[in-house]
Amino acid sequence: MINSSPITTWEGAGAIFTFAGGGAALWFWIMAVLLIVPLAVAFKAEKNAENEHD
Amino acid sequence: MTPEEIKAAIQASATINLEVYYYWATAIMVLIHAGFLMYEMGASRVKHTLASGTKNILAFAFMIPTFFMFGWWIYLAMTAGFIPNFEAGAGGVPWSDAMGPNLKDNASGVFVAAFTLFACTTASILSGAVIERIRMMAFIILAVLLGSVVWVLSASWGWHYDGWMTKSLGYHDFGASGVVHMISGFFALGVLINLGPRVGKFNSDGSANIIKGHSLPMTATGLMLIVVGFFGFLGACVIFPGTAVSFHETMWTNIYGQPTTLSAIAFNTLMAVAGGIIGCYVMTRDPFWMMSGALCGVISAAAGLDLWYPGTAFVIAFIGGLIGPLAAKFIEKRGIDDAVGAVAVHGMCGVWGLLAVGIFMGGYPAVSETIPGITFYGQFVGMLVMAALGFIPGFMVSFVMKKLGILRASNAVQEAGMDVEIVGDAYPEQMITNTPKTKG
Repeated sequence: MINSSPITTWEGAGAIFTFAGGGAALWFWIMAVLLIVPLAVAFKAEKNAENEHD
Repeated sequence: MTPEEIKAAIQASATINLEVYYYWATAIMVLIHAGFLMYEMGASRVKHTLASGTKNILAFAFMIPTFFMFGWWIYLAMTAGFIPNFEAGAGGVPWSDAMGPNLKDNASGVFVAAFTLFACTTASILSGAVIERIRMMAFIILAVLLGSVVWVLSASWGWHYDGWMTKSLGYHDFGASGVVHMISGFFALGVLINLGPRVGKFNSDGSANIIKGHSLPMTATGLMLIVVGFFGFLGACVIFPGTAVSFHETMWTNIYGQPTTLSAIAFNTLMAVAGGIIGCYVMTRDPFWMMSGALCGVISAAAGLDLWYPGTAFVIAFIGGLIGPLAAKFIEKRGIDDAVGAVAVHGMCGVWGLLAVGIFMGGYPAVSETIPGITFYGQFVGMLVMAALGFIPGFMVSFVMKKLGILRASNAVQEAGMDVEIVGDAYPEQMITNTPKTKG
């Protein structure tokens, strides 16, 4: 559905990864945001544990 | 040396390197089985530990001769569907020259070995789902059916350059999201429907009880071993260059002949492991699911592991890490007791892996103009084929076993512990303590 191929033929191809022709940076930033989520989850869980046990 | 002699020497060197490469990839793949062994024993209660382990070890042992007897032949001969091509399968007949030590064939033995370990992986996936209540004989028959027949058929169709799914659908499944994981997950689902839940799993109102395994540390460590083994598994999914059996003189290719690199696999395997673990952490904060999440991630990204941008592989795997536990809950609510989440992790993440390729990888060409490139249609139809090919034989054969009364251990044996059928004790002394947690 999403045409992410940077190539139309394998002859002489270099960077073949998805979105190499444009758009890869978006995935980089989505990944970066997703790395923040577990930090928030950990913080919240620790806070709850402290509140329950203090 | 003449140019011809130099070329022959280079090719001889490449052939030996191919042999070395797949030999050690196979050895690393054995770690998958070691990991599943720990995983399933840890996920069992103490009274079932040895039975779970024995079942797993026997699956490994039965896969090896049965894959030799008919598995490799099925892979070579059944590319067109259910009608065998005897000419193509000739090299896989167990008494052919290729199926034994042969100084003119350095490839067949290591290829058969690698595929045998893929077969062992499928059997292990089934093995975990059915612990603590399946009968040993029934399990062995089902494991052989899955590992040496059903998954091989799917591989012949969709994991072979000449397979009908490859040629007519442009089906792309680099690391076996469909041909290994979906097939095994849906086969296990078919078996679980007939096998029924463990005694005590569900209450009369349909609500589920949590049955904890006896050693989460063993389970988590086993899962990490599986991750190590996956580097061998996924490394064995690429075709070595420069030999008589290679697709390309100088470049690694995938199993469809499309060029790739081991670097591509390294980038994306690591990203997939990380994405899956973090996704499951966000969803559950449960170490069991976090390590299962590594599998969720790898399985979700596996189909496109040769082509993903690493950031995309991470996101696909993260989503897989969310899908795994959600799917497990969904399945449990339907009254199906999947002891280790095999249907969710392998089956449902396999579905996601195939569809993700269809959604995000449009436009990649095949190596031949007569074969379609990657499309959503090809991946979607491929996914349906994998679901049906896995589920139907698993359900039908286990249904017959159920009717014959040979599928499920009696409730009395389950309550006593499946280890009553095994020689020896898991632990020589009572090692379980019941120290209550104290509040800080």
